[in-house]
Amino acid sequence: MADLRLLRMRCYWRLAVFRTGAVNAASGSAYAEIGDTKVIVSVFGPRESKKAMMYSDIGRLNCNVSYTTFATPVRGQGSDNKEFSSMLHKALEGAIILDSFPKTTVDVFALVLESGGSDLPVVISCASVALADAGIMMYDLVASVSVSCLGKNLVIDPVLEEESYQDGSLMISSMPSRDEVTQLTITGEWSTAKIHEAMMLCLDACSKLGKIMRSCLKEAALASQE
Amino acid sequence: MSVREWMVGLSAGEKHFIQGGIAQDLRADGRKRLTYRPIYVETGVIPQADGSAKVKMGATEVIASVKLDLARPNPSQPGKGKVSLFVSCSATAGPMFEGRGSEELSAELSVALQRCLLGGKSGAGAAFDPSCLSIVDGKLCWDAYIDGLVVSADGNLLDALGAAIKAALINTRVPVANVPAGASLDEDPDVDLSSQETTRIDTSGVPVIVTLTKVGRHYIVDATSEEESQMSSAVSVSINKERRICGLTKRGGAGLDPSIILDMISVASHVSEQLMNKLDSEIAAAEADEQM
Amino acid sequence: MGPMNDSSDLSSEMEVDAFRRLFPLRFHERHLLESIRPDGRPLGRARDTTLAFGAVASADGSALAKIGCTTMLAAIKMEVMTPTVESPNEGCIAVEFHMPPICSPTVRPGRPAEVAPVVSKQLSDTILRQVVMTFSGMIDLKDLSLVNGKAAWMAYLDIYCLDADGALFDTALLSAVAAFCHLKFPMVSLNDDGRVVVVSGESKGGKSGKEAVNKEQRKLNLISIPFSLTCTLHNNYILADPTAEEESIMETLVTVVLDSSLQLVSFYKPGGPVLAFTSAVMVSSDLQKAII
Repeated sequence: MADLRLLRMRCYWRLAVFRTGAVNAASGSAYAEIGDTKVIVSVFGPRESKKAMMYSDIGRLNCNVSYTTFATPVRGQGSDNKEFSSMLHKALEGAIILDSFPKTTVDVFALVLESGGSDLPVVISCASVALADAGIMMYDLVASVSVSCLGKNLVIDPVLEEESYQDGSLMISSMPSRDEVTQLTITGEWSTAKIHEAMMLCLDACSKLGKIMRSCLKEAALASQE
Repeated sequence: MSVREWMVGLSAGEKHFIQGGIAQDLRADGRKRLTYRPIYVETGVIPQADGSAKVKMGATEVIASVKLDLARPNPSQPGKGKVSLFVSCSATAGPMFEGRGSEELSAELSVALQRCLLGGKSGAGAAFDPSCLSIVDGKLCWDAYIDGLVVSADGNLLDALGAAIKAALINTRVPVANVPAGASLDEDPDVDLSSQETTRIDTSGVPVIVTLTKVGRHYIVDATSEEESQMSSAVSVSINKERRICGLTKRGGAGLDPSIILDMISVASHVSEQLMNKLDSEIAAAEADEQM
Repeated sequence: MGPMNDSSDLSSEMEVDAFRRLFPLRFHERHLLESIRPDGRPLGRARDTTLAFGAVASADGSALAKIGCTTMLAAIKMEVMTPTVESPNEGCIAVEFHMPPICSPTVRPGRPAEVAPVVSKQLSDTILRQVVMTFSGMIDLKDLSLVNGKAAWMAYLDIYCLDADGALFDTALLSAVAAFCHLKFPMVSLNDDGRVVVVSGESKGGKSGKEAVNKEQRKLNLISIPFSLTCTLHNNYILADPTAEEESIMETLVTVVLDSSLQLVSFYKPGGPVLAFTSAVMVSSDLQKAII
């Protein structure tokens, strides 16, 4: 029984591509494409905080995620996604060295060009590459991966269709080289053993994704030296 | 973090006292690390709602209500009623709730509760089965609007809201809708709601939410806002009677080692059993009080 | 000429970047004297233009246009609608231009950019006004009809600015036209109620009763194709295809739109002192020939 489950488990993920410098007007930016999911993240700042903000001896992080009207199969409104904005904030704040830009704000804005499943994990990973591109000090890159639970099977990096009938999902954002989890969310009904299994699967995928992100930044750095 | 500290206004000595107390398993109010404050439950506090409850944990006070509305079910789920859940924070609940602060916190709490109580997309892990809200398959159902209100905040809002919603669901009476034979349901449905009969929602699967707050190297349950100001991170786990995890949210900025998260889940699962029993007996007592 | 001399003196003392930020107008005027621009272009040359089709798979037609650093993504989604009573054999086009916060440091979430509605209006004017003049219009709205009086296409054209660095309208129009070129009509069929519905990818070749109305994936017939060029005018100089920096410094902007047979379609001159615009039109049309 256990072997059968292992056989049916999809342990590969879709092709992941990262590119820095997608938006010239921003301090740093990145484009990520994982399967059909396409995301652009721009980072602005560190710049002056809004006037209404009170004094802070550490930097602030401001995140916003929005969708294009044509990102989803059914034409949407293209409005801000408040939930994803706050989740992006939580996933990143633990990785950024906020002491390095006191009194100022770093803005991280994401636009989902096309939604093909696992949107939030792609946004988070892409945002950390964009932050690195902007030269914002971080403890480590943040790589994020989700798994869907479909019946007895775990599916890593689910596509839109798989997400639509999942029984549960688990998303981890982690800093691979520090082996730390910055964010973890679970929905649906899970046993402890299953959570353990899914977490290990995700963490392994995170460290692989982290390597891809790192090599993208290295390439960009080499190209700019020439 | 600095903002939180400023809000609570602790001196260096006080911070040290709180952290030291937690390290020695004797907290500022005399509790052990894994002990809850006394829980007080009152049900049926809002007469207009179909179900309601008030929960107090120390100085934290929250109200939850369940309102049912007749509606047409979603074509993709013809046999189920819709369930929506929102939390708002009263501006009088604490200094951090003024202006936009309350909006952000409300959104955060709403999302965390939705994750803990409404289950996955297929409905697995939901607090209760929304098919019990169906009246006529594909034509008519009850939509449940669950609203939480934070009246006074002194830490551990998520657990208190989770408990209040559980109590409100147990308190909910679903009116029996009699559909006259031969009535056309394609137009505005003509439904007889005059009967005094009511049914209950099957609440045996409603989970409890346990938040473990990490201060220093230790975790505590039911943190007060002073203790929360000293936290590095917190993990909220929702656990049902079968001790299965129905949802999990990590809060707070600092990263956690994966093995610590797994340890926190097992501690939470252990604590949940005591909380579940305590809460069940409190709610039963409150329900008995209301009937009198 | 005190200040002039001051800055001239300063320019030899301070770094180029500092001079550019402190005296932007003087910085550019010095370039203009040499008939060259800060990015190395001669005055009359536009930046490199690239175009990519099919950037978004979830849309029925899409294109990515780049002029210099300015990047626009246009996508069209088609929906079936009931045509209006006045024009039963015509479809409809809705144009929207968005400037999300990612595109420029001046745009913040919840506070849309000032220029966005202006460009949006210009775009829909250009694309739709064309349509009215059926003899030389860009698109014949009758092309969008499915069943006379019963069903027609509603084309939602959304243009997103991904990177804003001047000449927004030119790039937006280019991407919009390209998206229409790339547009493929989705397959439609009659459903059981006799309504025309879009056949989704999965159900292709499904039930035999649902015969597709249009067998092959038709493309839209573009009658004429509009192109535009924006120039800034400063004293006697005409700068083609300005960057955001040049647009912000020099106050007069002129946009000329021509169609593929080099007929003048429209002409915008929002504000600024009146200058010798005839020459500008001549220059821009000459330039456009070069671009096409």
